[in-house]
Amino acid sequence: MKVLVLNCGSSSVKFQLVETDQASAAAGRDHALAKGLVENIGGLAILRYEAEGRKPLKETGEILEHKIAVERILGLLTRPDVGVIHDRGEIEAVGHRMVHGGERFKTSVKIDDDVLSGIEDCIDLAPLHNPPNIKGYRASRDLLPVPHVAVFDTSFHQTMPREAYLYGIPYVLYQRHGIRRYGFHGTSHRFVSRRMAEILGRADDPTLRVITCHLGNGCSITAIRGGHSVDTSMGMTPLEGLLMGTRAGDIDAGIILHVMVSEELGVSEANALLNKHSGLLGISGVSNDMRALLQAEAEGNDRARLAVDVFCYRLKKYIASYTGVLGGVDAVVFTGGIGENSPVIRARSVAGLDALGLSIDPARNDVARAVEADISPEGSPSRIFVVPTNEELLIARDTYHIVAGLPPV
Amino acid sequence: MAIRTVGIVGAGTMGQGIAISCAGAGLDVLLREKSSELAQAALVDVGEALDRDIAKWRRTESEKRAILARIKAVETIAELKPTDIIVEAVSEDLALKGAIFQELDRVVSPEDLLATNTSALSITEIAARTAHPGRVIGLHFLNPVPKVPLVEVVRGLKTTDETYKRALDFVRVLGKTGIEVFEYPGYVTTRVILPFLNEAMYVVMEGVASAEAVDTSMRLGYGLPIGPLQLADRMGLDEVMRWMKYLFDELGDIKYRPCPLLRKMIRAGHLGVKAGRGFFEYDDAGNPK
Repeated sequence: MKVLVLNCGSSSVKFQLVETDQASAAAGRDHALAKGLVENIGGLAILRYEAEGRKPLKETGEILEHKIAVERILGLLTRPDVGVIHDRGEIEAVGHRMVHGGERFKTSVKIDDDVLSGIEDCIDLAPLHNPPNIKGYRASRDLLPVPHVAVFDTSFHQTMPREAYLYGIPYVLYQRHGIRRYGFHGTSHRFVSRRMAEILGRADDPTLRVITCHLGNGCSITAIRGGHSVDTSMGMTPLEGLLMGTRAGDIDAGIILHVMVSEELGVSEANALLNKHSGLLGISGVSNDMRALLQAEAEGNDRARLAVDVFCYRLKKYIASYTGVLGGVDAVVFTGGIGENSPVIRARSVAGLDALGLSIDPARNDVARAVEADISPEGSPSRIFVVPTNEELLIARDTYHIVAGLPPV
Repeated sequence: MAIRTVGIVGAGTMGQGIAISCAGAGLDVLLREKSSELAQAALVDVGEALDRDIAKWRRTESEKRAILARIKAVETIAELKPTDIIVEAVSEDLALKGAIFQELDRVVSPEDLLATNTSALSITEIAARTAHPGRVIGLHFLNPVPKVPLVEVVRGLKTTDETYKRALDFVRVLGKTGIEVFEYPGYVTTRVILPFLNEAMYVVMEGVASAEAVDTSMRLGYGLPIGPLQLADRMGLDEVMRWMKYLFDELGDIKYRPCPLLRKMIRAGHLGVKAGRGFFEYDDAGNPK
């Protein structure tokens, strides 16, 4: 089945056309036929596109709304010289990345009016993300009269127990406003943990304990038992947990109140301070890009070193605490841009965790870049792996399952 | 029809603030000043204002670049033709505004909105200088524009419902709240705040309480972010005087009589923050000493 996967931001649309079905997914042979990105919708937009065996393409032109962007994408997918299908009718389903599914959506789901209004009910929880996701759905629904499926960032974490998702504030805030931990990056954590279980030959083992570290510009870590998320570091918003490119991660809530008073900040300034000016960028003053920081550190920049140290230290703390949560760990998985490509960060984050059975084989670690690899020493009781993530592929697989009437993955 | 390009006439403090708010909301801006020197100087000011925002974590470097890329300086009214709405933000001078609207009315297509940023002047009178008074409306932005989330959307006698709806939408796109106001001297904000400031001055003049005590009681007693006398200092005591006289002249009610202490302070040159001294003293950065 050919599934169009859409990830719509406020002024962007990321897309992939994926060919998948049960047999090819089981064999790991399902893959993207074409993919690309439209940026700066609402003005002079940039459209990037690449398809198997075709020359990559970059176009600019005015694209005023998401619907026109999707129309342009369909145009490229069917264009004789660069396209991969003859007719848009070959697209049998559309999978949408949705950020927040609240407590209602515990799995991926086919979108109908009732589901749509449920997603709209979650806007309060993700005011920046859900509205463009919904807009993208409405735009493509009119153009592609086929089943549309919503795949949520939050749904994988809906298996967390109450003690993991509740905060230590008055319970009435949870009842009234749904204030609790939801967690994000669920599609990525689900994809790599599942793949990890397959690699270990324990796909259906309910006792398998895996810790997945998604380290990109946003970072989160999840404790998974038997394929179910039992705790994760991001909270009600994607601001909590690990240090990130420009996000603070864990912070004493008292600091926010204190700084708002001492620096005379309003709510939106405090929000920008924590989301855009903090993290690796805020500590180093150099960059939010880990590669640039490691380079600066090598050149003797102490603040760059400090930022990397804080990043790795906090990650180590989380790995150790989730090992406690799971009562031991069978495998730790690194994924995301940093996790897949930075041997240094992987090594520094697990250094000293030998007591928990976690250690890294330097030779294996150094060569593992953006490929599946076991980077722990032979005979180590707990394994450490690199597993590249592929959220679009999982969205396509979920979509296929739901459209084919199979239970969601 | 959605508004995508905004023309702004006058690149002083208000014009710059409106330009930043529009560009920050993703709209393209054509900013008009009388000469290219003035226009370039205004762009430099905008850049500095954005740098102050960055220092206060309000914006990022990339947001600054995106905002500057959306603002283009132009020199003539004719160059404003490709815009969907024009916001005039020159000084509060009826003759000057009237002349600008006459020219705008000739140059831009009759579907485009013409808005004037004024805190009290008559929209009806400005609109009367044009051939299409139905598309003229008042947008009263408050200073500093990027930080104040309120705009008074002021209807003149002939402003159409369609014009009002589109202006309100424009204000919403800027992330601000618009309130509907029917033209009347001082609208809502100026009309309500000025007698409050004036009354605080009377209290000081009559020896009831010190300036410090008046501000403290209003701040703490009513949870206001700033006391009335410090607010008057920020607005400029000469400005406060001008507005009180305006309300007094227009409405003829004794309750708008400017406080004699206000006159005396202006005569002494104690004009507020800009003079380093008003009801309170200020350092060069404008912070109370």
